[in-house]
Amino acid sequence: MYTYLSKLCNVDANGKFNEVYLNEFIQSIQGMARIEEGGTDFLRIVVLKDNLYNVVEKLLKIKDVYLRTMVSSDERTINGFFKLYYIFGIDTLSKSVIVEVPLTENDLIVPTLVNLVKAVDWYEREAHDLMGIKFAGRNQYRFVLPDDWPTDVYPLRKDYAIQDLMKLYTPKVIERAKEVEAEAVTIIPIGPYHPALHEPEYFELYVRGEKIVDVRYVGFMVHRGIEKLGESMKYNQVPFLAERICGICGFVHSTSYCQAVEQALQIDVPERAQYIRSIVLELERLHSHLLWLGVAFHLLGYDTGFMHSWRIREQVMILAELLTGSRKTYGINIVGGVRRDIDEDKIRKSLEVLKNVEKEFKTFIDIAVSVPQVKARLKGTGILPKSEAHALSLVGPTVRGSGIPRDIRKDYPYAAYRYIHFDVAVQDECDNMARALVRIDEIFESIDILRQLLDKLPKGAIAVESWDPEPHRIGIGSVEAPRGEVIHMVITGIYSPYRWRVRAPTYQNLPAVPIMLREIELADAPITIASIDPCFSCTDRALIINIKTGKIEGVPLYVLSRKKLEAVR
Amino acid sequence: MVQFLKILPISAKIGTVTVMYPYDRPLVTESFRGAIEVDPDKCIGCGACTRICPPKALSFIQEGETLILRYFVGRCIFCGMCADTCPEKAIKITKEFELASDQIYELYSDVQHSLSICRKCGKKFVTRKLMNKVKNLVKELPEELLELCPNCRRIESLLRTTTTR
Amino acid sequence: MKIDTITNFSEKDLEKALSKLKRSIWVYHLNTGSCNGCDIEILDVLTPWFDVERFGIRLVASPRHADLVLLTGPITVKTLSKVIKALRAVPRPRLVMAIGSCAVGGNIWFESYSTIGGFYKILDKLHEIDVVIDKVVYVPGCPARPEAIIYGAAILLGLLKPKKHYKRVEA
Repeated sequence: MYTYLSKLCNVDANGKFNEVYLNEFIQSIQGMARIEEGGTDFLRIVVLKDNLYNVVEKLLKIKDVYLRTMVSSDERTINGFFKLYYIFGIDTLSKSVIVEVPLTENDLIVPTLVNLVKAVDWYEREAHDLMGIKFAGRNQYRFVLPDDWPTDVYPLRKDYAIQDLMKLYTPKVIERAKEVEAEAVTIIPIGPYHPALHEPEYFELYVRGEKIVDVRYVGFMVHRGIEKLGESMKYNQVPFLAERICGICGFVHSTSYCQAVEQALQIDVPERAQYIRSIVLELERLHSHLLWLGVAFHLLGYDTGFMHSWRIREQVMILAELLTGSRKTYGINIVGGVRRDIDEDKIRKSLEVLKNVEKEFKTFIDIAVSVPQVKARLKGTGILPKSEAHALSLVGPTVRGSGIPRDIRKDYPYAAYRYIHFDVAVQDECDNMARALVRIDEIFESIDILRQLLDKLPKGAIAVESWDPEPHRIGIGSVEAPRGEVIHMVITGIYSPYRWRVRAPTYQNLPAVPIMLREIELADAPITIASIDPCFSCTDRALIINIKTGKIEGVPLYVLSRKKLEAVR
Repeated sequence: MVQFLKILPISAKIGTVTVMYPYDRPLVTESFRGAIEVDPDKCIGCGACTRICPPKALSFIQEGETLILRYFVGRCIFCGMCADTCPEKAIKITKEFELASDQIYELYSDVQHSLSICRKCGKKFVTRKLMNKVKNLVKELPEELLELCPNCRRIESLLRTTTTR
Repeated sequence: MKIDTITNFSEKDLEKALSKLKRSIWVYHLNTGSCNGCDIEILDVLTPWFDVERFGIRLVASPRHADLVLLTGPITVKTLSKVIKALRAVPRPRLVMAIGSCAVGGNIWFESYSTIGGFYKILDKLHEIDVVIDKVVYVPGCPARPEAIIYGAAILLGLLKPKKHYKRVEA
């Protein structure tokens, strides 16, 4: 409660404004770094790698600072350097701070920041895998690319075009088949860590009896080379690529990309286009939360809930098709506006559908949440303490269920959210039930926001007439997706983006899963993993490694979960 | 125990919502984007659609004396950018979604264009229809200049301007 | 350990097997790195509005129990060996339905260093390593509508004839 109030008045516990802290910070780094012009939206600081640790340490003293993303970029054709951009966000000031580190080609070793900011762990590993930048003081192994990728080939460098990479590495179908056959006959050795897994499953759960001792996430099965592909496409083709990053929340990615380019080139998007973008964003939030509720009920064994949620959700899908032309992957975003308009008839139909959805959902959810088995499974499991949530820079309903009111729509307003009123849903309990309640509150909030937007839709054009690209400008676009914060960074080129960085919310939230899963029962693992709302088919299967007997079995997650339902009955 | 039984009256009131699809109409709305159809009479073979298509579902293939515009519906993402970009409005977005098939080659559709040949070097450089359209639009330039490929046209224009001086 | 002991599975055997499978097909869902758009449409086909359970179709957990494999996603290089393993475990007749623009033609990723780009590209290689696919049906769409998935299943079972054919017209 106090943090919420303090955010409203922009003061902290000592009564000082955060603005003052920011100025103190700028004073204290005068000798070590250079401040560059970044416009009103962000502050650019250029620092050499030796002073990086000290500058970031001073920056973290400002309250409510969190790491949004880290980008590595090959700018040798522009100015001869490799660059690292660390993007931090200060919630209370709606400002981002970009810390830039230029590196020369023969000296690519950077001190690691893992002890200061836990969240930077995955970003450093990815920069090493895809760009070849080494971080001193930590161990590295293959993260994103497959294990038999050639060692000195770094895909995101400008030395390679996509066709060159395809010649350097072709997946060998016949060899893989032989490898798979051989695995079937080897004897699995006994031990807590199993080195002979060629193609590990998504979550490795180490168990002792029925309690989980440790978790390791191995993933990136869905790596398709999107950032490299975006550099070879034109500006107006990239939104279609961005939309297919995720099929459930695709529109946030294309909006975020368009906003990044529009900020970099100072394009003024007409108001009607911003309202239409917000309307479709909220529709997407509705359908995504209803989908999550259905999947959560299915994992708990309550299939009636699954069927009813998806029955209510179908009307939202049909409405989205009426407004945009396709049930999913809407394809109406281009840089500078939208491609399709909403007329009076469609507004009337939308309001009818929303009234129906709200009525049906309210009667259904009151019953579903009060079912005793559902309550017993959700309350008290998967605790994520508030301090950990802050240290890991988590985003979305995961962090709002632990008492931190972080929401991009309020902190860094975009599109039409400046013009309407709404509340941020926050709960304090930190368990699975809290995260579920946050999402249920957000559904009602979204219906309210949609009514306000449809009411106030202004007249005007739906896209900018024309715009001119200018190379080598930086732009950041961020949007509140149903799962959390999505942030894209674009460095513009002449006909296509020079560097495009995508950071999806699940990337930031997954390091929280091992903390939530410690010392809980095996049957509670599926709903805990699902409560951060990962792209669901990634967490479809789990591998259980029994430390005592050394047995490994692959089990689908919902089967694990159903076992406890029998016990609770 | 009794609480969750309250779901039963809700189910009874709503009844069945199932759309019996093969025996009933599908739930397609008026703005749905399905497969596209290229009108062979209007298409001039300019290639604007092949350059804007994100997955390159529309592409040009040269087969001897003809240029073929191939549409691979298996790779199409149904975005409609080709229909927005075509200068002749030759591409129509239909509501067709029943496109399944068991052979890959059935998913192609071709529009065949005949090519016009450069008078000087014999290279086939553009379709006949696009050539005719340019001739109608640019009436100031003489026909002999237009029917040359870009390299030959540069040389010929240079010769004309220098020799008439 | 070879499970494919039926080494002379001919056309006649395939027809006989398909005629017994007119109803109640059990499907196994294999995601090879897709964006999840087609996957949620597959789940949508089970929900009350489309309800394929009225035909007896249900999802199973293991490829060994499956009659039909629903494949989505352009096959990424990291999932390639899983795909081979799963397809090898399906008993004959092996039927595959490639759903969505990614599985049919590779979508925007048909030429990327990290994907193979569509199921038809590995079909011949699979035949070489003795994983014979008896029938494949391609269902385009991005994402594929639930009605299109039902239509694809009807074509696979021979209940309907495909409507889309190759055609060439002169401009």
